[in-house]
Amino acid sequence: MTEDPTEGTEANGETSSREANDEPSSTDSQLPTETDAMGPGGTYVESQVIMTTVRVVAPFTFTYGLFLTFHGGGSPGGGFQGGAVVGTTILMIAFAFGIEPTRDWLSNRTVVGLASGGVLAFALIGLLPLLVGGRFLEHAVYSDEFGLYHGKKYALEGVEIVGIAPIVSAIVIGLFFTIAAGFVGQGAAWQSSGPGSYPEHDLDGGDEE
Amino acid sequence: MTPLVDVLTSRYAYVLFALLLGIGLYMIVSSQNLVKKVIGLNLFQTALFLFFIASAYLAGGQAPIVHHGGKEATYVSPLPQVIVLTAIVVGIAVTAVALALLVRIYAEYGTLEEDVLREVRSDD
Amino acid sequence: MSPGAIELVLFAFVLLTALATAAFRDVLAAIIVFAAYSLGMAIYYAVLLAPDVAMTEAAIGAGVTTLLLLLTIAKTVRPGRDEIFESIHWSGLLVVGAFTTVILVTVTSFPEIGASDAPIVSNPEVSQYYIEEAYHDTGVENAVTAVLAGYRGFDTFGEAVVVFAAGVATMVVLHTEVFTRD
Repeated sequence: MTEDPTEGTEANGETSSREANDEPSSTDSQLPTETDAMGPGGTYVESQVIMTTVRVVAPFTFTYGLFLTFHGGGSPGGGFQGGAVVGTTILMIAFAFGIEPTRDWLSNRTVVGLASGGVLAFALIGLLPLLVGGRFLEHAVYSDEFGLYHGKKYALEGVEIVGIAPIVSAIVIGLFFTIAAGFVGQGAAWQSSGPGSYPEHDLDGGDEE
Repeated sequence: MTPLVDVLTSRYAYVLFALLLGIGLYMIVSSQNLVKKVIGLNLFQTALFLFFIASAYLAGGQAPIVHHGGKEATYVSPLPQVIVLTAIVVGIAVTAVALALLVRIYAEYGTLEEDVLREVRSDD
Repeated sequence: MSPGAIELVLFAFVLLTALATAAFRDVLAAIIVFAAYSLGMAIYYAVLLAPDVAMTEAAIGAGVTTLLLLLTIAKTVRPGRDEIFESIHWSGLLVVGAFTTVILVTVTSFPEIGASDAPIVSNPEVSQYYIEEAYHDTGVENAVTAVLAGYRGFDTFGEAVVVFAAGVATMVVLHTEVFTRD
């Protein structure tokens, strides 16, 4: 997702010329036109069809993901499935509307907070029974000792809803954007600045030109 | 039909499991491109998932939504399904780390072909 | 149990897409075929009565994995399309063939698919216990969820932390933060 659409193709051209100079054995496989198949700039092509489809489908998949998460106890579903579907919805939006705008729309704090908060909530639900002499993740304590109505069921659902689902969805989203950021980050910096001028932190023991 | 063919058709999912394991392993061993190696790793992994799911299957059973317990129906075993469920999510996380490493390798050496990479590394 | 029509079609589809994934030299083609393979696998899981696994595989295997692989090749280069298929790597094929043969030999001693006397299904202490007692012990009707977050909650906690750690590891490898970079 480079802002300048020409930058990507230019960088690809340079990449292949570098290949050709450095590694003669790979020249046959590195043609400048190859990576252009993904469209200018690498990955994003604005498509009315995809954007309209995603706009229609996304609310339903998002709701379906939440349904799977919240109704995991009574039907097929649960935190892993629901979290994955919710995360995939965001990925779908990012693919249709561009990764940069989606990255701006979501904030770092939301995603990192969801992942860390999920782990903490999971641990907290597990640790609370220890206060009254129960064992780690002993859900029965919630109904027997704390006197919550259907406590053991809600503790288990709580693990799924506030523990697993946020972790899975945030990590799915985070992995996607992290790998995407690697592209315009070091990758593009390396490519557009040409061979020999790498960002310092990127090439600790790298090859000398 | 010969007895061996009979035995194999009644265990068709395990036969598929063995063949997919072979294909996945072949991709890991022989692909020159590192991305294809990661795909092979994923293929190998799904073959193992198939093994678990097939071993849990019960003909004429129901999916393990047990309602209020009891014995009004027969169900497939939920345990292998739980293992596979978590393994899929852990698998994507591991795949993502592998792909991040590939992005780094590319930033460092400018190639993802194994033989080229070996040459570049021996030059260093 | 001998396979029915759906199983046979899925068997052929999954096997062919897997072979095509291995055979295509173009990485983009391999990724697209692999997505089809994952979807076929997800349907297969559903046919084998594992709806929870099928949903996860459809979302993660066919969706997220494909997107991550596409991102990776968009960011790197893919080999040219001068040949459509990979050339055969004979020594690799020999080793893998031996491995597959060994596995196939052991397949004959497994119980039949779907047999009611297969130990994993009929075992009264393990599988049947969870099926009978899951609702009473945990209060949820989905035995998979009950085992996942109830009986084996500690294990699942470990898995969740592994997934979390993988997210952190990816950021460390790529020297980047998720969204604040600019």
